[in-house]
Order: sequence, then C-alpha cells, then structure tokens
Amino acid sequence: MKLATVTTFVTIASAVMTTAAIASPEKGLEIAIEADSRDKGFGNSTAQIKMILMDKYGQSTERAIRNRTFEGDNEGDKSLVIFDSPGDVRGTAFLSHTKKADSDDQWLYLPALKRVKRIASSNKAGPFMGSEFSYEDIASQEVEKYTYKYLRDEELNGLDCFVVEYDPVDRKSGYKRQIVWMDKSEYRVHKIDFYDRKDALLKTLTYEDYNQYQDKFWRSNRLVMINHQTGKKTELVFTDWKFQTGMTERDFEKSALKRTR
Amino acid sequence: MITYYACCFAVVLLLTQPAFGVKVNGKLSSRLDFYPDNADGTASEGRSGEVKIDAFHDFEKNRIVGEFIFRGDEKDNGRRITEARQAYFRSPFAGFDFFVGNRQEFWGKAESKNVVDVINQSDAAANEGKSGKLGAPSISAERYLDIGDLQLWYISSFREKTFNDSDAHPSSGVPVSSAQYARKEGKYADDFAARLSSFAGDWDLAGSVFYGTARDPILSVNSNGRALNPHYALQKSIGFEAQYTGNVTLLKWESLHGTQSSLIGAHDFAAAVAGIEYTYYGAFETIWDIGLIGEIQHDDRPQAAANQFCVAGLRLVFNDIADSNFLFLASVDRKTDQSFVSLEASRRINDVTSVKLTSQFYNARTTTSAFGQLSDDDAITFTLNIFF
Repeated sequence: MKLATVTTFVTIASAVMTTAAIASPEKGLEIAIEADSRDKGFGNSTAQIKMILMDKYGQSTERAIRNRTFEGDNEGDKSLVIFDSPGDVRGTAFLSHTKKADSDDQWLYLPALKRVKRIASSNKAGPFMGSEFSYEDIASQEVEKYTYKYLRDEELNGLDCFVVEYDPVDRKSGYKRQIVWMDKSEYRVHKIDFYDRKDALLKTLTYEDYNQYQDKFWRSNRLVMINHQTGKKTELVFTDWKFQTGMTERDFEKSALKRTR
Repeated sequence: MITYYACCFAVVLLLTQPAFGVKVNGKLSSRLDFYPDNADGTASEGRSGEVKIDAFHDFEKNRIVGEFIFRGDEKDNGRRITEARQAYFRSPFAGFDFFVGNRQEFWGKAESKNVVDVINQSDAAANEGKSGKLGAPSISAERYLDIGDLQLWYISSFREKTFNDSDAHPSSGVPVSSAQYARKEGKYADDFAARLSSFAGDWDLAGSVFYGTARDPILSVNSNGRALNPHYALQKSIGFEAQYTGNVTLLKWESLHGTQSSLIGAHDFAAAVAGIEYTYYGAFETIWDIGLIGEIQHDDRPQAAANQFCVAGLRLVFNDIADSNFLFLASVDRKTDQSFVSLEASRRINDVTSVKLTSQFYNARTTTSAFGQLSDDDAITFTLNIFF
C-alpha cells in the first residue's frame, strides 16, 4: 500500500516535471503555424449548417444557417452567416471581417428594417444564436489571436496527437485557456477543452467525420460542443461543402449584406 | 393600380413557385390592440391581421424581388392596406447594380429617430415603427467604389403618409383631408437622392443629398376645425451620418440640413440626433446583455412633435434559445412638458411562431402639444406571428 502510494506520487511528480520541462511556447507556435499553413489557399468556401441545440433534459430545437468564407491575404478571413430558420430570424445575416491583431469588424443585416448595423465585436464570450458556441468559437481562428504552449503528445481516438495550450491574447475572451488536441499527421483539431476565466472547465468541443476537399483541405462535418457547467449541448452538422465557388471579396463587403438571400 | 398588379403578381409567384423555382416564404400576423384611455366615441380595442409574402427568383445575374403586405383591420380603414413594399427587378450593368420598381431602403445610425432616412414614406397607420414603410417607386443604381458604396436614386412618384381613422388610434380625432403639395406636379413630382457610405477602422460614415417632396406633411386644422389638412413641402437637404464602434460603446450621429418650401414660405431647417449606446455583455455573470441608450433629438421643422427630445432607453437581450429581448425607450420634451414611453418585448415560441408585446404611453401637460392630442392613444398591443 505504502509502496503503491509512493510509486503513484513519483509517477505524478515525474509527469509534472516532464510536462514543465517540455511545455514549450516555441513548439506550440510552430504547431499552430503549421496547422494554419496547411489550410492556406482554400480561397473561398460555402457550406450548409444544421445547428441542433439540446438542453440538459435532451429536448432539442434546430436552426438552419448558411456559411460563406473568403480567405484573407494580409488580414484574417471574412465570413458571412445567413440564417434560414427559425422563421423570425430568416434572412438575418452576420458579416465578420476578422483582424489578426485588432478587434474584428462586424455587421448585422436586419431584413425587416433593411438595415445594416455595425455591432461591437467585444461580445466575444456571448452565445451565438442562443447556442453553446460563443462568437469567438465561430470566428476565424488566426494564429496571432493566441499564445501557445506545447504540452505533450497523447493518443486520442487511435490518433497520435499534439496537445497544445492556446491562451487568448484578447482579455475580452471568455476563456483563460484552451487545450487543443491536434493529430500529428494532418494537423486537424479533434478536441478542445475550454477553461473559463476562473480556470474551471467550461466546455468541450469535439470534431468528427473529417473529409478532405480538393486533395488538401480537411473539414469536419460534425462539431459537438458540451457545456459541462449547464449540461447543455449544441451540434453543428455541415453539409454541401463547396470550394472556389467564384465568390469575390466584394461579396463580403458591408453593402453585399443587403443582397444576401 | 400598380399595387394591385404587384399583388396579383405575388399570387402568381405563389402559384408558380414549384414550377419555376421561385423562392417564397411569408408571415401571418394576428394583432390585438387595447386602448385603456380611449375617449368617448373612439375604439377601446382593435383587431387586425396581416399576411406578408416574400419572394425572389434569380436568373443569370438578375433577380426579381417581391415583398407584399395584405393587412385587414376590423374597424380602422386607415390600417387596411394592400402594398407592394418591394417589387423590383435588379440587374448589373456597367459596374452598377440597377433596380427598377418599388424598393425599401434604410439610411441612418440612431435608435430613436432617423432624420436622414428619406427614401421611403412611412406606413404610419401600421404603427409598426421603423419597419412600417411604403415602397418607393423608383429607379436606383448602386456601385461599390474604393471610397465606399454609392447609391443614386430617382423616385418617380410620391407616396402619401398613411393615417388611422379619426376614431382609431393613434389619431388626432379629426379626419384627414386630401393632401396638398408645394410642388405643382403634386404626387407625380420627381425626387432625387444620392448617398455615399463608407467605413474606416472603428468609424462608419455616410453623406447624402435629397431633392424632393418632404416625407412628413405639415398638418393644420381647416377653418371649421373638422379636418386635418396635410401639406407636403419641397425639401432640399444634405444629410450626414457617423458611428464610432468602440469595444462596448457606440457613439452615433445623424444630421439633416436644408430648406423646406411650403405654404408658410421657405425656411432653412436643421434636424439632428446624437446618441450613445453602452452595453454590459454577460451582465451579472449571466449570458444576458444589458444596453443603455441615451439620445438627444433636435428638429426645428414644423412637422416635428417638439424642437428637442431627450431619450433614455434600456435594452435587455437574454441570449436564450427563444431569443427573448426587451426594449424600453422614454422620450421627454422638457420645454412643453410632454413625454412618450414605449415598451417592447418579444420571444420565439417555436420554429414557426413568435409573440411580441408592445405598449405606448403618451403624457402631456397641455392638450395643445403634439402628445397632448394623443392623450387617449395609449396602447397595449399583442402580436402573434406565424412564419411559413
């Protein structure tokens, strides 16, 4: 019994020391840059999304949205989200110009008023459409928005993964840190643990059903976000991915919001 | 007549939807109004229903858009309408997008009043706030330039503001007579407008010009006191809009300067709204957002209810699955001691149903002030919307 306790202690202590010894910011950044570079060149893409919101009792409701993304050159990506259901928000559109260093520029189109409204982008931690995804979860993930610490290697679902800590640079982020599992072969994210500002585990996001497009770009068709503190869950089911659709940067300007349907 | 044909077109769209891939959806609204302070001889309650049909069809690079309103009211003729709020053909040509037909457009930045929003006439009898507009019969062109978005407008005929019946609400209590115009062409006079809008960093800016018939009429009681005469002035104006978007604070500005020529002569005018909106995101360690709104309105046109209003507001967004939200706005004119309070709450019941509760309360020390004439028009309204 005593030996077992000591052995356990030594194992834990050596694990902690090993983790401390290899928690490397440089390697963490290298992994993030490599993951980013592997997705470069997709140009633009579109997808249909079914959002399934479930409460802790298992009751669910669905949303239908469309996503359009335009890859940025010097700045971050531009994305347009169009709501198809429920009926009261049908036609509402959300445009985001992601910035690598500054706050993102964001506009909302309200179809009943035909009004394009610039909105403050500091609402990062707020829920997106009442879901367990926050605005910062759905925003384009730019390398500059985090600092990194490589923590360890670990197997996840039979895949050899890097485990990297992402620390948000923006103090308005709802998270103190994120722990990201990324496979070593293709640099695809498979799981993220989100820790709130009090460093308590808040949510876990898992990525399932990856498919490769244009022999290069991997996209997950099912994202599941579980909120450990509320018991609620949101699934995003992606279908009909299309790349190089002929969209131009003009389709992501503020004036284009009025033309979305 | 145009509206009649447009609405026939809407029915055709509905019927042909499966055959030609026309995308159609709509909204069915049922509304109950209660008027707790109604004067003798005026309605104590009202019931109305509205069908709104949205349709569009893309072919090659062109698009046809229709947005049609059919509204019936149990008693109030003024609220009844068959309207093509939008019915236009859009086509790209020479770097511009051209639009021909009825269009609805919004200009402005402020929350409580938009003095630069000059394109459409208000469907005031609908009492639906900023979304209650009449389509502008027009030819317009839009182009995205390096310096911003350019809009050019030619509006071919004038739409008169809608008014509720004299025994309905809100109403001044006397019937509205036929409109008179400062321009000799009357409702067939042409209007012209242009706007350039852009953004740079945290700033959204826009400038606009307008030459045409003023949207709000000057109202005067006729000699026997039994009718209101609406008189529409000629307006030449320049508008300016700005919004600064900070982390949690929005600063807003709208101004309109120009001249109005009417029965009472030609007068320079200025109208402006300056405002601030501060939002506590995730207030009280919840997922709620609480917005505080403060605006000052100035308007020295004879159509304005007062020269100056101070507006304070509170917006609650619950960020829940039902999209529950609440808005309170209070407008106070200290000079003539009159005020207006509005409350609005809405939430979704399920994917195809939502409910909205609104209330409006007028308060005035004198019966001669604008809100004094609306003293029996306090209203509580319940609306059920079904989407299809």
